[in-house]
Amino acid sequence: MLSRIAESLFWLARYIERAEDTARILDVNYHMMLEQSQQSYRLRWEPLVIMAGEEKLFHEFYSEANAENVFEFLAFRQDNPSSIVQCISKARENARTIRDRISREMWEDINGLYYTVTRFRPEDEIAAGPHRFCDLVKFGAHRFHGVTDATMPHDEGWEFLRVGWSIERAEMSARLVDVQYYNLLDALPSVGAPDNHQWMAVLRSVGAYEAYHRQYHSAIEPEKVAEMLILHPRHPRSIRFSTSEVQAGLRAISGSPAGSYANEAERLAGRVVERLRYDRVDEIFKQGLHGYLNDLLRMCGAIGDDIARTYFYYAVVA
Amino acid sequence: MVKSGLFEGYDTGSFYDEMFSAPGQPRPHYAKLFQKLAAMAPGQFEERRRLADLSFLIQGITFTVYSDGRGTERLFPFDLIPRILPQSEWERIDRGLSQRVVALNLFLQDVYGKQSIFKDRQIPRWLVYSCPNFRREVIGVEVSRGIYTHICGIDLVRDSKSGDFYVLEDNVRTPSGISYVLENRLVMTRTLPDAFQACEVLPVNHYPAELARILRSLSPRGEDGAQIVLLTPGIHNSAYFEHSFLAQQMGIQLVEGRDLIVDGGIVYTKTIRGLKRVDVIYRRVDDEFLDPLTFRADSILGVPGLMGAYRAGNVALANAVGNGVADDKAIYSFVPTFIRYYLGEEPILKTVPTYLCANPGDLSYVLEHLAELVVKAVGESGGYGMLMGPAADRAKIEEFRERIRANPRNYIAQHVVPLSRVPSYDPSTGSVAGRHVDLRPYCLYDGEKVTIVPGGLTRVALQHDSMVVNSSQGGGSKDTWVLRGEG
Repeated sequence: MLSRIAESLFWLARYIERAEDTARILDVNYHMMLEQSQQSYRLRWEPLVIMAGEEKLFHEFYSEANAENVFEFLAFRQDNPSSIVQCISKARENARTIRDRISREMWEDINGLYYTVTRFRPEDEIAAGPHRFCDLVKFGAHRFHGVTDATMPHDEGWEFLRVGWSIERAEMSARLVDVQYYNLLDALPSVGAPDNHQWMAVLRSVGAYEAYHRQYHSAIEPEKVAEMLILHPRHPRSIRFSTSEVQAGLRAISGSPAGSYANEAERLAGRVVERLRYDRVDEIFKQGLHGYLNDLLRMCGAIGDDIARTYFYYAVVA
Repeated sequence: MVKSGLFEGYDTGSFYDEMFSAPGQPRPHYAKLFQKLAAMAPGQFEERRRLADLSFLIQGITFTVYSDGRGTERLFPFDLIPRILPQSEWERIDRGLSQRVVALNLFLQDVYGKQSIFKDRQIPRWLVYSCPNFRREVIGVEVSRGIYTHICGIDLVRDSKSGDFYVLEDNVRTPSGISYVLENRLVMTRTLPDAFQACEVLPVNHYPAELARILRSLSPRGEDGAQIVLLTPGIHNSAYFEHSFLAQQMGIQLVEGRDLIVDGGIVYTKTIRGLKRVDVIYRRVDDEFLDPLTFRADSILGVPGLMGAYRAGNVALANAVGNGVADDKAIYSFVPTFIRYYLGEEPILKTVPTYLCANPGDLSYVLEHLAELVVKAVGESGGYGMLMGPAADRAKIEEFRERIRANPRNYIAQHVVPLSRVPSYDPSTGSVAGRHVDLRPYCLYDGEKVTIVPGGLTRVALQHDSMVVNSSQGGGSKDTWVLRGEG
């Protein structure tokens, strides 16, 4: 497979995942906040922008973060490279450059999604609230996964897709826990009691609310939420599960057997997975959640770089 | 007279109408289609048309126009009423095109080889050497199996006065449009299945397999294990859809210049498992962008060292480098000479009388009659660099006068051929009107025989009274049906 094609597959999957994750976070937070008091208004919207990693850009356009402008910024703005519409456009651009290598159904599906989201009129949606739009993006992404699974050979190209969406998902979950947790810790003294609504929103935004209750049979506690999102072995959006998927995909590409590695990306992925397998949530909190998550994010970034070095880039041979 | 529904009040005008011999009188090969369409309610036709458009959009069958400087994706408008040719007429065209392709190939072999045509004084050497697309760099290069013109798209028009087909121009560099022929047919069979079934239409879908066979045969290392790639300028090229479509249909790799590397005179693809040798390149990148070491140094579309590998015979290119000398619009008027000189035959297809501005006599005639003539820049294609005298305003005519005076060799002129028309649907009025068409058949040459898929791309000028059919100039297309028998 051409290196360029592998790279496009990897980014196609990442962009779809990023669009979905952003849609989930927007939708859930928006509706939770409708039920909330107005007192820590700014505090609540700001984290969404931080999670998307675009707070600097955001403040170039807006003076304060509120429901309307955060929605506009994260969903529609053409000049925000991480907005949902931009992610889907870039996913489509990547798909277009490799449309001879993906199934016709995949191409038509993503092309259709692109035309659907670009036809939304932001002003109408902002007035109506994000649910309709976010739901459409979320199910658009699910459909893409389904169509991909059902129509594309599960060969090395498919593995690059899997590595792409898994690494994006791991990073997004890490950022979600990190930002929400610190936001809440800051808020605790003034609010006086743990803000369960906020944690419910976190669980809902990764589709883990029901699973949490099945697992813990208890009230929502921040440590347990963190445990679920970081260490759960089976939940598809936990960091542990997502990084295991990255590792499995990389191994399938190189053919290296369990317990060994063929390149730096596999070595790092193996290290992250093993660490998550044996760490306990109380230890994580003892050593500091923020530092722990940042470490994971750095490792994910390094894995991405090493994938590119191993498979995508050719040094110029003299 | 039959009840005409969709064709109520249709005016055949003063042009040759492909469908009607007289108002309300369909030609025999259009009779079945006419019955089907005339029985359709206008609303029904409109609904089918929308379905066809949606199908093109979702499949991403678009092309890119560069009028606004940043490139916009557009649908290539598709008209549902097909252009139909009876088999006997097509067979004559097929013979005429085959003859022409073989002669053009012999001319290219000769120009870049022995050059006997100059010695025998059939065409002046200076005229050939002054073609903007003549490539000195490939003189003496031995091309695989002696083939230059693997793929030709030859534009034909039917003259309304005589009813005869004329060759309007040859495209022997990187002709595009075949994907529309194949996709139009697919959409057509889905959209108007009943009409399609009523007529016996010759199939076109063997094109990719035939092209793949020819490409494989060019491999310098034999056909087994040969790696064939299609080289595209990339996603921003107007024909990108076609490049990916053909690569997929032929099961070959679609590559950009940055996917290739030349090392030790061998071309390789950069894969996730290291370098893999390339044997044949179906290139859709123009000559001057192929290799920055040989041609334009600023090209980022090409591959440094590619021409070295080509000269050494380590990689085959289709079409060959330097073909632009054969489709130069000044050389066009000599093609009948080539046919007589190389094949000893009389040309089967007519060509349009052409004034070469390079000849002083022709030049003064052209400058005096600009308002009646079509002027074309010799090295351009796609409807660029063209003056339609009768439709142009004074300023445009004067602009061309200056341009021609400044560089006469760069221009030719012809009298306007009144193109035939085919009824076409106008969505803005919901009615059918006559629109001018041309026909571009695609010819594949394997060194022994020429294979032409029956029909080709019928391009249609969708604006009322326009005779410019190029997609970049607001043209659309139609499916072209060659019938088994006479209909």
